[in-house]
Amino acid sequence: MDLVSLQNWLDNASFAVLFVTMLTYWVGVAFPKVQVLPTVGATGMAIANVGLAALLGARWLEAGYFPLSNLYESLLFIAWGITAVHFLAETTSQSRLVGAFTAPVAMGITAFATLSLPSQMQHSEPLVPALKSNWLMMHVSVMLLSYACLMVGALLAIAFLILTRGQAVELRGSSIGTGAYRDARYRLRRAGQEVAPPATVAPQATVAPQAAVALAAEEPVTASGNTAVLNPPQAATSQAAPLTPQRLSLADTLDNVSYRIIGLGFPLLTIGIIAGAVWANEAWGSYWSWDPKETWALITWLVFAAYLHARITRGWQGRRPAIIAASGFLVVWVCYLGVNLLGKGLHSYGWFF
Amino acid sequence: MAMNEPSSANSKGGFTILKRYFRRELLPLLADLRLAIVLLLAIALFSVSGTVIEQGETLAFYQANYPEDPALFGFLSWKVVLTLGLDHVYRTWWFLALLILFGSSLTACTFSRQLPTLKAARKWNYYTQPRQFEKLALSAEVDGQPANAALANLSQVLQTKRYLIFQDGNSLYARRGIAGRIGPIVVHASMLIVLVGSIIGSMTGFFAQEIVPSGQTFQIQNIFDAGPWAKSQIPKDWSVHVNRFWIDYTPEGAIDQFYSDLSVLDQQGNEVDRKTIHVNEPLRYHGVTLYQADWGIAGLRFHFNNSPKFDLPMVQLETGGKGRLWGAWIPTNPDLSDGVSVLARDLKGTVFVYDGGGSLTATIREGQSAEVNGVQLSIDEIIGSTGLQIKADPGIPVVYLGFGLLMIGVVMSYVSHAQIWALQEGDRLYLGGRSNRAQVTFEREILSVLETLQPIPHPENEEQGDKTSDRTPSPSMQ
Repeated sequence: MDLVSLQNWLDNASFAVLFVTMLTYWVGVAFPKVQVLPTVGATGMAIANVGLAALLGARWLEAGYFPLSNLYESLLFIAWGITAVHFLAETTSQSRLVGAFTAPVAMGITAFATLSLPSQMQHSEPLVPALKSNWLMMHVSVMLLSYACLMVGALLAIAFLILTRGQAVELRGSSIGTGAYRDARYRLRRAGQEVAPPATVAPQATVAPQAAVALAAEEPVTASGNTAVLNPPQAATSQAAPLTPQRLSLADTLDNVSYRIIGLGFPLLTIGIIAGAVWANEAWGSYWSWDPKETWALITWLVFAAYLHARITRGWQGRRPAIIAASGFLVVWVCYLGVNLLGKGLHSYGWFF
Repeated sequence: MAMNEPSSANSKGGFTILKRYFRRELLPLLADLRLAIVLLLAIALFSVSGTVIEQGETLAFYQANYPEDPALFGFLSWKVVLTLGLDHVYRTWWFLALLILFGSSLTACTFSRQLPTLKAARKWNYYTQPRQFEKLALSAEVDGQPANAALANLSQVLQTKRYLIFQDGNSLYARRGIAGRIGPIVVHASMLIVLVGSIIGSMTGFFAQEIVPSGQTFQIQNIFDAGPWAKSQIPKDWSVHVNRFWIDYTPEGAIDQFYSDLSVLDQQGNEVDRKTIHVNEPLRYHGVTLYQADWGIAGLRFHFNNSPKFDLPMVQLETGGKGRLWGAWIPTNPDLSDGVSVLARDLKGTVFVYDGGGSLTATIREGQSAEVNGVQLSIDEIIGSTGLQIKADPGIPVVYLGFGLLMIGVVMSYVSHAQIWALQEGDRLYLGGRSNRAQVTFEREILSVLETLQPIPHPENEEQGDKTSDRTPSPSMQ
């Protein structure tokens, strides 16, 4: 089997595997008691991840340069990135919800690359002079990895929003460390021996999320300051039970994992933009020229910077940062593909993109 | 002098009022995170407008595409576009004002918020009272711990998790990832450095473009953008000679790379530097950088029969966007009454010869000849011209410094700052901790630490908390 037919086989196989994986995760969410489904889903993701990596490797061998020169290759790379970041999110959160959101997106991207792109766009073409530089690999791979991280983080924010719809939420996890303190009502209840949270390690998903969320909902919003300050409750209660850790709820977990993964995508985006700026300066003489693509990369950066700051802002707590992150999903897509509809430039992928 | 006194006192009073206003009103407003978020999103939003509306086009273009009636969305006519400066968003006063406001907000935030937070994060206390652990979400008490060895065990466990450990008697404090507290400060500071560098660049730098035929010498003159203090940057005492310009083509005929062999000459015409540049590989000399940016066909070198060689300039023809084409008219008899048109598309070495009637009579390759109008026309060379982008930007070292620090800063900012306190009272060990970012992994870590400290707490043990005084430090809560 030669490299080209291997590639064809691999991209069709990856698409098929991802499709089955997506269905498995969805059924797994519908039937939480069936323990085998998340394992099957994770296996499917792993197969797709390896398949896409092999596909990109085959193209690297065939073309002789890192395969990130056209839309088809970048789509496959981003799909690979999403499956990779998926594992990070799934192992950290230990929640089967993650795959239900990441698998359809990875599947959709692979389907678009495999089925919708005209076949002449799927062939590797020689690089145009402007792209013949080691910076290409540096800049593009880091950018695409950051897109993958930001997309997965934004998807988890969407999952969080769906999970907590109709509730007010106090966020945990930010650069200043909001949310490391015990919930007032949690303590009161614990003192009254109504709630006995499990002290041993239990699967994250089984800790009742609604209770903690509903409790936090009653937290009054005090005077508008700048940074969130959580006042440790002063109520004097004699303690009936020993001190045990207050565990994170599922919503807390999803939100925190979303925050961490966006927190990973943000440095990557920064480094990617800077690599692009330095490359532009070395190759064309200007590190910033407000080209639509770089402007949109800056817009993406600004939106996620706003998200990171919203998390530490009093008065913007709760679902608002998650809404910014979720809208970041759209912004990343506009930056990745939408801009190319506006016109040709250095970042054109050929075809109508 | 006497007259000056009251006025100076007045201005002193005015200064204190200004200072107080700055401290009490302006600074808190500038350092307000909500202002920062609004600014971030506003810059994003206005940047979008610049990518949707075409930038830097002619008046006629905007008149054609943004008619007054019907206006786009009911208001966006060309008059609105031009009045608001939406044809050059990134250079309008209001966009630059937004950036300056953003820079001020960054500065204010760094000094009034971030530095104090870091100071607080570096200050820490041992927990000496069991009730201090109660406010932490992740805290527990474990009984049945050997009085002398429990803290040592714990310290060993934390050491393998790369914690920095402090111990004093029965109290233990451990922390990891203080870099995560410093990172955001580095990010903010480096963004200010980038802003400063870009301002230096726009004030003292210049951009120029030159189209130079192979074999000619030029001085940098065609400057299209220069800052107010850019005069000294523009080179007067050296010039550049284009030894040769050529294009490499792939076997399929696509352009592989453009090359210009350039020599830098001093005032006496001596070569002081030489380099063959191509796209992605510029020539730098005395702070000025020459980039390969464009190309063209300058002219044609040819001769008739045994005549000497002539150089004839070729001009680029209007093709209506259908590729690039250069042409020249060559007279074929001395009274110029007859001649042929010569066309060239590229530097691959072929010219097309058309007669007066407009039909193709010959194609001639470089170094070959063909008979036209009764004379032998030999094409010696198609002379290419190189398009050079030339610039000087003294702000670059500052900008790059900012870039470098920014990259380090954002990576540091990913680190999660984790703190763990422990207190031993008899055979009971109190353990608590908190982390600012990675709550999920920190929870897992605390639980795994607790597992090593078995047995699990007994429910019958009661703890009488002392509620009168709370000296608990809360380092980062500002």
